[in-house]
Amino acid sequence: MPSWSIPYVLLVPGILVIAGLLLYPMIQMVTMSFQSISLRVIRGVAEPKWVGLENYTKLFDNDIFWSSLRNTIVFAAVTVALTLILGTAVGVLLNRLSRRMSTFVIIGIMSAWAVPPVAQGTIWRWLFDAEAGIINWALNLLPDGLSTLVLGRADWTAQPWLNDAWSVYIVLVLTVVWASFPFVAVSVLAGLRGIPAELYEAARVDGSTPWHTFRKITFPLLKPVFAVLTILSIIWDFKVLSQLYVLLNGPTNREAFNLSLFSFAEAFKAPPKMGSGAAIAVVLTIILLVVTAFYTRQMVKQEDLT
Amino acid sequence: MRIAKITATTVTTAALALGLAACGSGETTTPQPQASASASGPKFAGQSITVWRLGDPNEPSQKYMDDLVAEFKTQTGATANVQWIPWPQVNDKFTAAAAGGEGPDVTEIGNDQVPLWQSQDALAPVTSITTGGEHAQIPKNLFGLETIDGEVYAMPWGAGTRAVMYRKDWFEDLKIEPPKTWDELVAAAKKIQDEKGKDVDGFAFNGGSDANHLLGALAWSEGGEYAVKEGDKWVGKLTDPAFKTGFETYTGLVTSGVSGKSRLTLNTTDIRTRFSNGKVGMYLTASWDIATIKEESKGKVKEDQMAFFPLPSKSGGETPAFFGGNDITVWNDAKNKELATEFVKLATSKKWADRYALDGGLLPVYPDTLAELAKDPAQAPFAAAFAKAKAFPADPQWTEANETKAVLQNAARSVIEGKATADEALAKANKELEDILNQS
Repeated sequence: MPSWSIPYVLLVPGILVIAGLLLYPMIQMVTMSFQSISLRVIRGVAEPKWVGLENYTKLFDNDIFWSSLRNTIVFAAVTVALTLILGTAVGVLLNRLSRRMSTFVIIGIMSAWAVPPVAQGTIWRWLFDAEAGIINWALNLLPDGLSTLVLGRADWTAQPWLNDAWSVYIVLVLTVVWASFPFVAVSVLAGLRGIPAELYEAARVDGSTPWHTFRKITFPLLKPVFAVLTILSIIWDFKVLSQLYVLLNGPTNREAFNLSLFSFAEAFKAPPKMGSGAAIAVVLTIILLVVTAFYTRQMVKQEDLT
Repeated sequence: MRIAKITATTVTTAALALGLAACGSGETTTPQPQASASASGPKFAGQSITVWRLGDPNEPSQKYMDDLVAEFKTQTGATANVQWIPWPQVNDKFTAAAAGGEGPDVTEIGNDQVPLWQSQDALAPVTSITTGGEHAQIPKNLFGLETIDGEVYAMPWGAGTRAVMYRKDWFEDLKIEPPKTWDELVAAAKKIQDEKGKDVDGFAFNGGSDANHLLGALAWSEGGEYAVKEGDKWVGKLTDPAFKTGFETYTGLVTSGVSGKSRLTLNTTDIRTRFSNGKVGMYLTASWDIATIKEESKGKVKEDQMAFFPLPSKSGGETPAFFGGNDITVWNDAKNKELATEFVKLATSKKWADRYALDGGLLPVYPDTLAELAKDPAQAPFAAAFAKAKAFPADPQWTEANETKAVLQNAARSVIEGKATADEALAKANKELEDILNQS
């Protein structure tokens, strides 16, 4: 075997797995998005019908698509930012704790991360329940004056958090940030542990403030970590489905759909419309690919420079 | 930069691995118990079929199925395995079964669901049953939704209409008479909330998968219609003043505070659970809920604390109720259609169909049994509603408008939240309803 071929041979098993499990379904999905696929097609008693761009034109005419797109993007932007800020802050904090204490805190926050998505949704749905929820109860405990001053109202009895799209998304942001910041925190901590202590000592000798140290030493050194975490968070937050499904009590409230839930409702609720469901999924995939490609380029560029 | 790079790689790898793990979920399948084969005995000895019953089992319905299955075994020698599917999951389960998943051989089905599932090739014709013997006594007008292109795709098993279930003991405590007009109903609901707490729904708003049972009754009572077929096209009638009046009565349940604003997506099953917990004074349902509530509330709500009255209309008199009915039929993928048809035939014979209806709180499909039942004062509200019963548009796409897209539920939500006027919301809903019903 010529030596140049070794990398390729080593790559083959991985490529085969990706091709079988990812590429083939992706091609299938794109094909389906140009077809009308009813249950009868899935049952094998009818042939899929080519409809050209009809699934897409119908989709772009649909108000629900545009509100879903808006919900998806705004949610991802807010959640990614909050997750990274909170995660980094906690990571830096963990680095200053003693070994035993930081292990303790890590176990604590990682258990939030380990909660399965449906359970996350259930937990927060109960917390924000209009009548039995602890949030409304706690807001009512605030002194009336303070509550009115800060939040604009004193009485929170039976406040229906999960009706209106925007308040559902407040709860969803909390749910997802709560469950995903620990991963960022621990990754940042791992990165921080790798930065030589001499740099910080030198900074201290030079009289640098903590903020300055973070900006001039920590952040540049951890930039690759942040780049990866940002991409991952974007991918994860664009795809949120289970938590939203649980918070909304199923796909009924269409104003609060995001693209994933919209795609799911189209493709799998009776009568299933796999074609338009696939079209939504294609749009979501393209958005994600563009965003990811952009960030990956940035990342590669930076590494070339350093 | 080495360390940072390694960290980055590690993070990526770990995340990908976790991502994959998260994706790898599988659907759980229930193993099919195989009946033990016996060499001798009746024709189908040793074979088995799966029967789907819809709803949550309660004591009488469970007992009924046990007896029916035993009778089936005696007659055919075959075993029937009964599985219960809660109503809100029915369409999802049918979808999965029709797409090639684990399905039934015989299934119960809502009569308004028959056109949809027939159009998806999921049901087998059972026309042969209807022509012979006592089955011919079932009135032909009960086969309206079931007859498609001359073939009957499901057998009527029991007819269900809806009436208002109320807490009889609360009414007696608070000295409220069962309401005869809509205004009285709202007044009664307010009084219940004043006395029993603000988190109690005086009259529960249904905004879930079966919301149109309530909205339909209110709209029909004003003379409104969802849509009518003109030629081969459906024309939406949601913007007609009559429908609008009914729609406003419906949203008024929440805007007047009679039902909590935080509960806009509850279906009858969710409301029943709240009723069992003493959080609902009145709601629209069928009489089968009595047995379930008795069990579910674990004695908190007893049988003598529940009663029914016909839903009064805004303009006076009783509302036309949704003409509901439960059918039973042969699933098209049944492995042994002959045996499955035998089960349907037995279940809809006079003896077993009558008992199905009477034990389950439905109206019997055999006319003489129905006439007998109408004399019973407890059943009178249902018989009264049955006389005026109306059905939703008979179209395979109705289920999509009704449950999947929840067109009118979303229209009601936007009005309740003050984002649109009833006119705006209904105009939008009307267009969508037409689009859905007229798609090929």
